[in-house]
Amino acid sequence: MPLSTQSQADIDQYILIASLDNARNLSNILKAISFKDHAIFNATQNGLKVTVEDSKCLQANAFIQADIFQEYTIKEDAVGFQVNLTVLLDCLTIFGASTTPGVCTALRMCYNGYGYPLTLFLEEGGVVTVCKINTQEPEEPIDFDFCSTNVTNKVILQSDSLKEAFSELDMTSEVLQITMSPSHPYFRLSTFGNSGNAHYDYPKDSDMMELFQCTKLQTNRYKISLLKPSTKALALSCKVSVRTDSRGFLSLQYLVRNDDGQICFVEYYCCPDEEVGEE
Amino acid sequence: MDCVATGGNVKVLAKAIHSLSRIGEELYLEPVEDGLALRSVNSSRSAFACFLLSPLFFQKYQAPSDQSFRCKIPIKSVQAVFKSLSSLDRSVEKCRIQLNSEKSRLTITLHCKHGLLKTHNLSFQDCESLQAVFDKESCANVLQAQPRLMVDTVLHFPPSQEEVTLSVSSDRVWLRNHVEDDADPRAMMTELSLSSEEFDHFAISTQTSITFCLKELRGLLVFAESSGLPISVYFDEPGSPVILSVMDSVLEANFVLATLSEDSHPKNHGKSNTKHPDTEQPPDDFMNDDMDSFLIAMETSELPGPSHAPTSPPHPTNNRKHPASEEEQEEALAEGPPNKKFCSLFFGSVLPTQSQLTNQTIQSQEVLASDSEDENQAETS
Amino acid sequence: MKFRAKIIDVGCLNHFTRVVNTVSKLSKACVLRLTCDHLFFVLSGKVASGGVSMWCELAQVNFFDEFQLEGVSADANEIFLELAPENLSRALKTAQNARSVKIKLTKKNCPCLTLAAELPSLSGVSRVVTHDIPVDVIPRRLWHDFREPQMPDYDVSIYLPPLKTMKSVVDRMKNLSNYLVMEANLNGEMNLKIETDLVSVTTHFKELGNPPWGEDGSQSTSASHRDSEFMAQTRLDIRKLQQFLTGQQVNPSRAMCNIVHNRILHLIFLHEDVSLQYFIPAVV
Repeated sequence: MPLSTQSQADIDQYILIASLDNARNLSNILKAISFKDHAIFNATQNGLKVTVEDSKCLQANAFIQADIFQEYTIKEDAVGFQVNLTVLLDCLTIFGASTTPGVCTALRMCYNGYGYPLTLFLEEGGVVTVCKINTQEPEEPIDFDFCSTNVTNKVILQSDSLKEAFSELDMTSEVLQITMSPSHPYFRLSTFGNSGNAHYDYPKDSDMMELFQCTKLQTNRYKISLLKPSTKALALSCKVSVRTDSRGFLSLQYLVRNDDGQICFVEYYCCPDEEVGEE
Repeated sequence: MDCVATGGNVKVLAKAIHSLSRIGEELYLEPVEDGLALRSVNSSRSAFACFLLSPLFFQKYQAPSDQSFRCKIPIKSVQAVFKSLSSLDRSVEKCRIQLNSEKSRLTITLHCKHGLLKTHNLSFQDCESLQAVFDKESCANVLQAQPRLMVDTVLHFPPSQEEVTLSVSSDRVWLRNHVEDDADPRAMMTELSLSSEEFDHFAISTQTSITFCLKELRGLLVFAESSGLPISVYFDEPGSPVILSVMDSVLEANFVLATLSEDSHPKNHGKSNTKHPDTEQPPDDFMNDDMDSFLIAMETSELPGPSHAPTSPPHPTNNRKHPASEEEQEEALAEGPPNKKFCSLFFGSVLPTQSQLTNQTIQSQEVLASDSEDENQAETS
Repeated sequence: MKFRAKIIDVGCLNHFTRVVNTVSKLSKACVLRLTCDHLFFVLSGKVASGGVSMWCELAQVNFFDEFQLEGVSADANEIFLELAPENLSRALKTAQNARSVKIKLTKKNCPCLTLAAELPSLSGVSRVVTHDIPVDVIPRRLWHDFREPQMPDYDVSIYLPPLKTMKSVVDRMKNLSNYLVMEANLNGEMNLKIETDLVSVTTHFKELGNPPWGEDGSQSTSASHRDSEFMAQTRLDIRKLQQFLTGQQVNPSRAMCNIVHNRILHLIFLHEDVSLQYFIPAVV
């Protein structure tokens, strides 16, 4: 059942149709937020927003703007549903996740509305795969109420410089402590593990630091188990913006460049751990 | 203590730590006048490894004023500091190691590119000096080879292979997998034969066979391969430790491994251990390898499989040689001890004085390689 | 009963190694049958091996520079050995750049297949590694258990799609389900399907072609009565198909399968003079 032979009647039923010449442009960015099975899809005229949450303390969002898609048709103001993200990723990469140049999987994603499955048509080298993924009613994502006007401290770093720190995190530490300050140590990541503590200090004049806007010394702790999945986003991204607001909430925004050089965003929000001890 | 390593030496240091992590759970650190000693011992005390990095290895080397200072740290936590060797190569410019005995804290600071500073504060425990008694120079046999030869040789054995037997004659070396008598009789036997010409140095005064653990040799290879330094092997008769050694102008590494005592060697390949097979091997003749006897035995009996030549387990007389002093040698346990016996290496200076030792504790030192009593023994101070 | 063989050519050694690796990925223990012209690796569909059976056939002249065999008797000039192919695979792995590899049946504590490789060395003098692989010699009265399986009276025979694509699809489907339905018709179409509570996935392959089997290019008796649109199908334990696709290192020039509706999947890989057949029973 090639993509072109779907009948007009079938197409008419769909309230959402999104097509990509390269399915990796969707699968890659979804991998950056795949740490739980349930993903909430929210489609508007602007594009697709996919949300994954963990224990009411962590939220990750991936944004794929409408113009990333070769075709993007939405017949309602907003279309929402929930699917199993692990299943969706297996379907999107059914022809393999390899990056052979010149070979890509074309995707057409369709949704009929409440009660219908999310239907994927994937095609590579004349072979067609049809997937019907069951959907559920979407849950309301948590509102972290993270507002840019309340941001106390903000740094933008090249992702490479944080990748190492995150891959080396001492997982015997319960928390990752982030210190941001207008004076020394400027930007510091600390862990407190079984064998001792570790501090990673980034000077504000480092050439890895693209922006340094810290107004006030702030030290907050975040559960390391919650933040660990964000390493996936870090690995895909080229830049990351680290912000904290007056309540100590953390926002990590990742700028991701896809295979075609287009830019998408992934963002993680995390609540601070209650106790802030002094080291 | 305060010392600084720079450039490629940071990676050498990291490789030494990774190498030691193949031996034991703890890293013993002892800064002395002639360098920084890094040591480890396995839980059964049958393998000991020591790296000595001379003051010249470091850009700066300052031993503590208290010359008797030494400590131990879980090796995993030190390894974590040097986790990614590729990033060490790429981005670490300088590594500083400081010991603060008041705070019982070892601080390792990595100065990386782009001004990134990684500071690891590790807590340590005081300990006694860890030292094995060995004397390379008195060994009857010495082999020296490029690490490549050793790596190629070890490759022939699967990662699960625990022990190998090294046999030497006046002009050849054989390595084969050691299989316990009670182990799977279906195990594949592998034997590698090397000519003396493959070695940089070949000085064999007695034909002998020794059996030791492969794991620690692999550990040393991690280091030797990356540094490209030749490996020397010093050994005597079965039961005496084998010493694997790597050396250059600014560092020295010695791995001391216990070997199985002679009588616990099974008859591998149905051949004797001391006389090497080559002299007995039948000519490569098609007619000599007639298998009919096996088939006849099978067709006439109802045995489930082919008959295996019965091998009576050799009676272990447990005639072990310690690298340590006379009074530490003990008689064998009266009733037949298990076959596999690696002697524990004695660490002279670790041991409490004789008066503090009851006879009982000495006995405990003598039990099986895996006995955890040994652990306590060394920590008694 | 004697056997001795020798490989000198590196290409032959690599090829032989790949065949043995494939066999070792598919079975812990199998039978090696040696005749004057051929070697066979045989796994008969015992319950212990999950009901799968394997038949791998190699013409000795394509691999060996020397091949001497003296079977159990003049009228049965063959030898049947049971061995762990993993051992043979490991032995060959360490002999990859050998100048020569000798394989022979030897008497040690037990009968062994001894593989001796002459390796190049730094000094130029030869380095020799020998591996003694214990084998069981199978008595003649049991030989009938290891005869070539009959070609089933299949409903559909079809060429397989590119194995790399098929493997990717099966790998993902394995993440999603324990069972897979493979179906095909005489129109050159094949589908792989899974269905679970969460998802249904179907991959459609077409224009694969149906191989002619009979002397006159005809299909089997069952197949010749079929409507070309009829989809013959088997429901399989997905792990068994995955194991086959993952383990195979033969990279066949031709790959095909026969389906006996709801009974069995018969996979056939052909590469030069190696043929590998694998039978996976259907699950109900």
